Amino acid sequence: MRFVDEFRDAALAEVLGREITALCEPGRHYKVMEVCGGHTHTIYRYGVQDHLPEAIELVHGPGCPVCVIPMGRVDDGIAIAEREDVVLTCFGDMMRVPGGRGSFLDANARGADIRMVYSPLDALRIARQNPDRQIVFYAIGFETTAPSTALTVLRAAAERIENFSVFCNHVTIIPAIKAILDSPDLRLDAFLGPGHVSTVIGCRPYEWISRDFGMPLVCAGFEPLDLLQSVYMIMKQFAEGRAEVENQYGRVVQYDGNPVALKVLSDVFTLRPFFEWRGLGSIAHSALQLSPTYARYDAELRYELPGVRVADPKACQCGEVLKGVLKPWECKVFGTACTPETPIGTCMVSSEGACAAYYNYGQYAKQRLSLEVLQ
Amino acid sequence: MTHAERADPATGAACSTEPGCITCGDVAVVLTVALVDGCDARCRDGQGREELVATELVGDVRPGDRVLVHAGVAIERLTPTGRHE
Repeated sequence: MRFVDEFRDAALAEVLGREITALCEPGRHYKVMEVCGGHTHTIYRYGVQDHLPEAIELVHGPGCPVCVIPMGRVDDGIAIAEREDVVLTCFGDMMRVPGGRGSFLDANARGADIRMVYSPLDALRIARQNPDRQIVFYAIGFETTAPSTALTVLRAAAERIENFSVFCNHVTIIPAIKAILDSPDLRLDAFLGPGHVSTVIGCRPYEWISRDFGMPLVCAGFEPLDLLQSVYMIMKQFAEGRAEVENQYGRVVQYDGNPVALKVLSDVFTLRPFFEWRGLGSIAHSALQLSPTYARYDAELRYELPGVRVADPKACQCGEVLKGVLKPWECKVFGTACTPETPIGTCMVSSEGACAAYYNYGQYAKQRLSLEVLQ
Repeated sequence: MTHAERADPATGAACSTEPGCITCGDVAVVLTVALVDGCDARCRDGQGREELVATELVGDVRPGDRVLVHAGVAIERLTPTGRHE
């Protein structure tokens, strides 16, 4: 398949792996964080780490939007959905995220009406078709997804559809990276920048990372060779004594992003003063809420919410996994009490969560397979 | 086409409660514009599957244009050479 097969060539991967190895400084260990959950998924699915020398360690970051939703916000969604006149709509991954009162699937079993949609525009379509019901879209995601929510709000306003609202949980990537860099737990050497977030925001917002922290950041695509080439570009920067923002994903990402999408975002949303991230805690100016102009579409203003902070289960170490401090298999409940079928933590819920990706594609899956063969 | 049938042509992933939801994360797919209808366009993937895509964020599109689509919205138009300057 064009634009796919050429980025999965095993022979080229081997060549890149050798060139990356040649760029490693003897005795030095490199920690490279992939911020995006989509990258984590590719790394495990295609065994990208197997093509890298031991000196390079890929550290998984907080870029899975489902994984960073705190349990209290899940409970808030359930509280909205339990109203008789409400249909709550959300993306598929959200359905199984555990809150303090169970997941959306559990709420449906208790009688709530929570429906999966592919796009917020599908939620708006449901609103058009059901004028006697209130349709609420449970919005999650980084800057890749936020424009689709913003566009939907603009269309709702243009069509004067008033039985539609948004429970907004959109987050922004830059404050999360800053929180990680400020964390005393972790020492990083470089970043693989999130490819599709960068399609919207561009590469310029990362420049402070290179300037202030002296760290390379390469915006990377999502195929295995994209990631290997991006690691190569990072290692070349180290070898040449540079620390810059570079764009490996030039076939999609423009350095200044998508100005129309950025304008729509700034029209429809404003930054929240604070927002709680699972694992990272409360981060200033790290999430979006509807701007005063579109406040009539804000479900948080339309409905009374519990707004209770719910602590993560004690056994769950998602916080450390999200910050890259722990590897998935180092969590106490990984693969035993916490599996994709019965997730305790959010990192095991979404396919982009580091734990689920490692469980499904990593060494753990290989070990399980060999055990099953032996039995 | 229902959301469950809209699979990522690269990974086979679809929006569902099962692993591989293409809309929730930083995942997007490249589709080709087949038919323009106002602010929307019917777009096809490599296997010929179609979906309706909102195009306001990428400006005017024409049949044959390739767009990066996330959650039913085109967030970037790709150049014919597959590379931005």
